[in-house]
Amino acid sequence: MFLAWKEMKKNKLRFTLITGVLMLVAFLVFFLSGLATGLQQLNREAVDKWDADAIVLTEESDKSLGLSSMTVQDHEGIDADETAILGQFSAIANNDDEKANISVFGINEDEFLMPEVTDGEKFTKENEVIAGDKLKEDGFAIGDTLSLSGTEAELTIVGFTDNARFHGSPVLYTDLDTFHRVKFGELAEQNSDRINGVVIRTDNVDAIETPEEIEVIGIDTFIENLPGYTEQNLTLNLMIYFLIVISAIIVAIFLYVLTVQKMSMFGVLKAQGISSRYLANSVIAQTFLISFIGVVIGFGLTLLTGAFLPSAVPVSFDMVTMIIYGLIFVVVAIMGAVFSVRTIVKIDPLQAIGG
Amino acid sequence: MAILQLDKVKKTYGAGHKKVEALKEIDFTAERGDFIAIIGPSGSGKSTFLTIIGGLLTPTSGEVIINNQTMTAMNEKNRSKLRLNEIGFILQASNLVPFLTVADQLRLLDKVKNNNMTKEQLEGLYKDLEIADLRAKYPADLSGGQRQRVAIAKALYSNPSIILADEPTASLDTNLAFEVTDILKRETKSKNTTTIVVTHDMRLINYFDKVYQMEDGVLAEYKEEVLGNE
Repeated sequence: MFLAWKEMKKNKLRFTLITGVLMLVAFLVFFLSGLATGLQQLNREAVDKWDADAIVLTEESDKSLGLSSMTVQDHEGIDADETAILGQFSAIANNDDEKANISVFGINEDEFLMPEVTDGEKFTKENEVIAGDKLKEDGFAIGDTLSLSGTEAELTIVGFTDNARFHGSPVLYTDLDTFHRVKFGELAEQNSDRINGVVIRTDNVDAIETPEEIEVIGIDTFIENLPGYTEQNLTLNLMIYFLIVISAIIVAIFLYVLTVQKMSMFGVLKAQGISSRYLANSVIAQTFLISFIGVVIGFGLTLLTGAFLPSAVPVSFDMVTMIIYGLIFVVVAIMGAVFSVRTIVKIDPLQAIGG
Repeated sequence: MAILQLDKVKKTYGAGHKKVEALKEIDFTAERGDFIAIIGPSGSGKSTFLTIIGGLLTPTSGEVIINNQTMTAMNEKNRSKLRLNEIGFILQASNLVPFLTVADQLRLLDKVKNNNMTKEQLEGLYKDLEIADLRAKYPADLSGGQRQRVAIAKALYSNPSIILADEPTASLDTNLAFEVTDILKRETKSKNTTTIVVTHDMRLINYFDKVYQMEDGVLAEYKEEVLGNE
């Protein structure tokens, strides 16, 4: 560490530049990680809020909540610890001033899908809804009357709840009667037992028995099958992995060039009896310092940027994920220093001193 | 007991008709306090001689014994340790670490050597070599003579048994060359170490206790008339 730190102290500009490059790459990694988490939440927030273990959908829906259609009687045939009926459809909500994509969840008030209200009240009458608080940021307020696209219905916001987005849209929670009336219009009566699925809390998902043509899907599997969710995650994660590999290559090239420039100095030190291990450790320590400093500044810069971003940018910083990426970043950078270590071990002190 | 002993040390490069005998069965001894010069033309084998004593090159045959330790029987790791603790090197371009101050050059040795100097001993070394005021300076801020004095301080750090100097005055003007050689001699005597200097600078030979001449791989005591005839 002594040699490493002294060299960095003496050649400040050189090491500030490489630390700066690593800091920018780390910043990008952290920011993309925040974006990936934010986009994930955009899709799954309302599902995570269920705190459920599985969902029951029709087999033919291919794990899609919107395309699944079953009856309340199907729900009665499901044997599980705790169940909650769910109806769902998507629409555009309009309060005359603002329009927004929304997802309507039809639920039973006395089941566990009923959300905690963070502002306002629970729905108690027909046509009342609790809205995801994202709608509040978009200009909707308690008391607003909403018209929904493709329906004649008018709904009133009576409260807001947090963490309520499904597949990118804020959720409107309402009772099943209102849900049927809005979704089916004049045909509401004939479809009054129609629901999309049943959400389940249980200790043993495999033991759940269901009627024919209905399948039990673990919540994680259900989330992974939300349209575009897996593809989006894979894309962002690939970008993060590539960035980490690129940072290792940057470190490897930079340290290799530095090592080649110092070969004669290393040779002389080896001639004086200083071991290859001591010199290699010095390069490793230098890599650790520059990558660690780069990661810490990148981390701080990411949080600072996040604080100033408009709410429309879906970033959400998960500290545990970011710390893991930071550690991987430092470890991979140290792996990039291996080329330089090999070069140091191979230096012949005799050649270095011109023997 | 000799501090350094070479028994029938031979070094051969290549094989067949390309075979070159760089050193031809050299016997050599040096005692504590000896200030020795090895002179000779380029390619005569004097650097090979020095690097074999320094453990940087392995002889083809023969033994090198330093302070009762047979260096030629050691593996590279132990040779490196012996080099670190028993031998001090001074090279022609002084070869200081460019990003370390004078004080840090010695602090580095303090970190890697077994037998470290006390604070008082270190102060004494700074004083002896007149580099106390240069502690905070980097090699680039020093003159050639100052750099070489720091290199001598590095070589003398923690009192090694042997100092090996390869053309230590090659890049210095006459006055500085005399000054540096004078310091080396003074330190050799005061610390009772052994210094072997490879040089082609004939102006300096009067400083040395013993002068050897290397020619075609053969080491012999220097006789002034031989060089005088050249």
